[in-house]
Amino acid sequence: MSDIADAGILKQVDLLTSKLRRRQLAGAQESAMETTLLIKYVVTNAKFGTIEELISIIKATGRRLVEAQPKEHTVGNIVRRILRLIREEWAAAASNPPQEDGDEEQNEDGSETPKKSKATLAYSKLLGSHLGAQASIASPITRLRTVPGADSQYSLSNFVLHGRPHRDANMFSSIFSSSGRTDPTAKPSKNAESIRPALISAIEEVLDDLETVFDTVSSAAKDHIHSDEIILTLGMSRTVEAFLKKAAMDRNYTALIAEAAPSFSGHQMARSLAAAGINSILIPDSAVYAVMSRVNKVILGAHAILANGGVFSAAGSILAAHAAQTHRTPVVFCAGQFKLSPLWNVYHAHGSLDFANPAHVLGFEEGRLMDQVDVLNPTYDYVPPELINVFITNDGDIPPASMNRLVKETYDDEDYQM
Amino acid sequence: MTSVESVPSTSTQVPAVGAAPDGPPQRKQLTKAERRELQEKQRAAKAAATAAGAPAKAGNAPKPAPKPSQGQNTKASTPAGASGSTATASNAPATAAKKAAKSGKEVDTQLVDKTADLEAQRRHQTRIFTHFVGKKEGGLGAGIKGEIHPAIIRLGRQFADMKIVGANARCIAALVAFKTIIQDYITPQNLTLARDLTQYISPQISYLVSARPMAVGMGNSIRELKYHISVVSIDMPEQDAKDHLCEQIDTYISHRIVLADSVIEEYAMAKIQNGAVIMTYARSSVVERVLIAAWTRGKRFSVKVVDSRPMLEGKNMLAQFVKVGIPCTYLLINGVGSVIAEVSMVFLGAHAINSNGSVYSRAGTALVAMLAKEHSVPVLVLSETYKYSNNIQLDSFTKNELAPIPDPRTSSRRITTRDRLGNETDVDDETRNPNLQSINPLYDLTPHTHITVLVTEVGLIPPSAISTLAGLRDKDKGMQLSV
Repeated sequence: MSDIADAGILKQVDLLTSKLRRRQLAGAQESAMETTLLIKYVVTNAKFGTIEELISIIKATGRRLVEAQPKEHTVGNIVRRILRLIREEWAAAASNPPQEDGDEEQNEDGSETPKKSKATLAYSKLLGSHLGAQASIASPITRLRTVPGADSQYSLSNFVLHGRPHRDANMFSSIFSSSGRTDPTAKPSKNAESIRPALISAIEEVLDDLETVFDTVSSAAKDHIHSDEIILTLGMSRTVEAFLKKAAMDRNYTALIAEAAPSFSGHQMARSLAAAGINSILIPDSAVYAVMSRVNKVILGAHAILANGGVFSAAGSILAAHAAQTHRTPVVFCAGQFKLSPLWNVYHAHGSLDFANPAHVLGFEEGRLMDQVDVLNPTYDYVPPELINVFITNDGDIPPASMNRLVKETYDDEDYQM
Repeated sequence: MTSVESVPSTSTQVPAVGAAPDGPPQRKQLTKAERRELQEKQRAAKAAATAAGAPAKAGNAPKPAPKPSQGQNTKASTPAGASGSTATASNAPATAAKKAAKSGKEVDTQLVDKTADLEAQRRHQTRIFTHFVGKKEGGLGAGIKGEIHPAIIRLGRQFADMKIVGANARCIAALVAFKTIIQDYITPQNLTLARDLTQYISPQISYLVSARPMAVGMGNSIRELKYHISVVSIDMPEQDAKDHLCEQIDTYISHRIVLADSVIEEYAMAKIQNGAVIMTYARSSVVERVLIAAWTRGKRFSVKVVDSRPMLEGKNMLAQFVKVGIPCTYLLINGVGSVIAEVSMVFLGAHAINSNGSVYSRAGTALVAMLAKEHSVPVLVLSETYKYSNNIQLDSFTKNELAPIPDPRTSSRRITTRDRLGNETDVDDETRNPNLQSINPLYDLTPHTHITVLVTEVGLIPPSAISTLAGLRDKDKGMQLSV
């Protein structure tokens, strides 16, 4: 676990960590964008010999950022995602250059395989070599999508491997592969720096995704909201705001907005929706149950999506979700996939605890009382997956049960703990 | 219907069937749909006419055009919530007039059509909330015939301004006011007290209802009072009769409310154990009383006081607890999800108990009860039996009341939003967007499934058993309770 040696990079990282710590940078999408920009800076300016060095620099960066503000989960998510992209790019680059051995470009039986599986095959070989080089370190086995020696991507042994813990996968690979472990030597160093442009463009793709996430999430809005429906939402979420505004272009409906005291973010949302021509009705948070019998859908925004399909969202969401369940009303969360976090905790409700300024609940005007009373102003609620019907993300509609598969596809195991 | 005759030049749709010259038969011949169409056309035409008239005035005085519209706005804006649609109705022709003055005549009809459409939309969309009782048009006591006693006028004002809130407080205040009325009342010649006093009291009750809808307990007590008035013997001297009635009122208050509360206190205290963490919501006089008594008797526990806007009544209860020394935590209702795991029981008050056991109480009670039940935390509702109502409500929409909070569209009170660091950003709410309205339901209905037990002066009963209490069914027999 190395730290950052380069002073220039360290300075930039410190700038971002202090912003995060002081909550000058708040909000899932803004944090994600800033983190992506920082990582892009790191990738552009870091000096690394092997790809492992770059990965460890980025991991050190991620560790610092996450420690600064553990409640902004998108920071860690972006770092993990970029690490995954780096490994993929490296694997793709490693399978292409001319000095590769002939038999590594094709499968053992000589048949052609599609380009993607070539990359993943090479990826798996790389990691096999990676593992060989670090055999002494007891780290979790990394991804091994195909068994070397398998006929094609769809062979039975591949299906068997899918979803198994990865250390088993390695066991299988050593059993099935006839040629044994692949060459454990690391790739020549001049290749590592050569993929820098490819990495930067991959990171820029991530940045583009983040910038347009509100538009992509709301692209199918009109299919989810129908005419004359009454939608309930809570507080302010830019994703939900974009979603509702997009739907309003084709549908005529009413939005009930719970004001989300004491931040009153609901007022901002209501004003914004009303300005867009949506019939908006602002209600206090206590009225959520009272109006629920007339609500057709509850649409909420998420702060972080957890691997079990649960959600950290604005305080009051658990009340709205339970009330909706009592009335058999569907609960929908709109969120970009950058909010998906691989974190897992047995007591998620404790993991969501984050407190804001208590003076907004009981302020100094109640001076006498303030002294003798504990005042709480929780920011987030944990909503368990049983209460959620669907996630509307920038990559389609996903049921909560599929979240863990998505986590596996987006992040690498060894990055879960930075 | 008079508009049909007052604008003869624009009425294009008068059918020539039967050629009836006089007014009423002609009116009957138009069907309801035709009449409505006619009215819409005339309204639109009127708006066009005023818009056409506006360019003539525009050169001289642009100011009078905005001023009347503002005047209309402030007048129409005092009723909150549901009648917000009337504010938009007055807004729309005014803005149409202003716009037409600027843009020219040929745009007039277009804009007028659009605003008429918008109006129709608005009316359609806010219909579901219109039966919520909000501030009545015409203000306090409008249209009530008869002399209103000054004590009732004062009480009505106090109700309307939310100076007296809470079921018990309102009921006791009303009964005390009625005692004053009865003592001041003088039976007119040739009339019996039994009949006339009832008639005299009716407009007083209507006046109170115009301030705020009748509370269930208050209604029950007044019904009993009317019964007692009706059985006053014709031979009883007037002062004796009045004293007797006042005594009945006193007995009602003392038995059904004050003593009942003491009994509930005993029952509920027995359920509090040392080290308990008790959650309460908003303010209930009974819950306050129980917890203070338990603490004074030596039980040691802590309380989480949950509060909510717009009433923020929990602060008052918090102040009482702090005075006695109970360790308290204070939070708003959105924070309940974060603390429910630590709570050992929930005490709630009620405005009314329905015959199927559902509890009609301050908005937010249902949320707290529901979440507590999900986490297997017992929910105790403390209520006297005089709050029993024979009604069954299916949901919180059947019967509710809106708080007279100023409409964010039209009030000049600045609403601020806070960002993560707590910096307030003033949001300009002078925009008066007709799409935005706010409603503040005061009550909600907690189904009996969310409640563990109902603590009344006749004991701890499951909520659905409330209707089987014999004495409550025989309301006409007065104060009989089967214990």
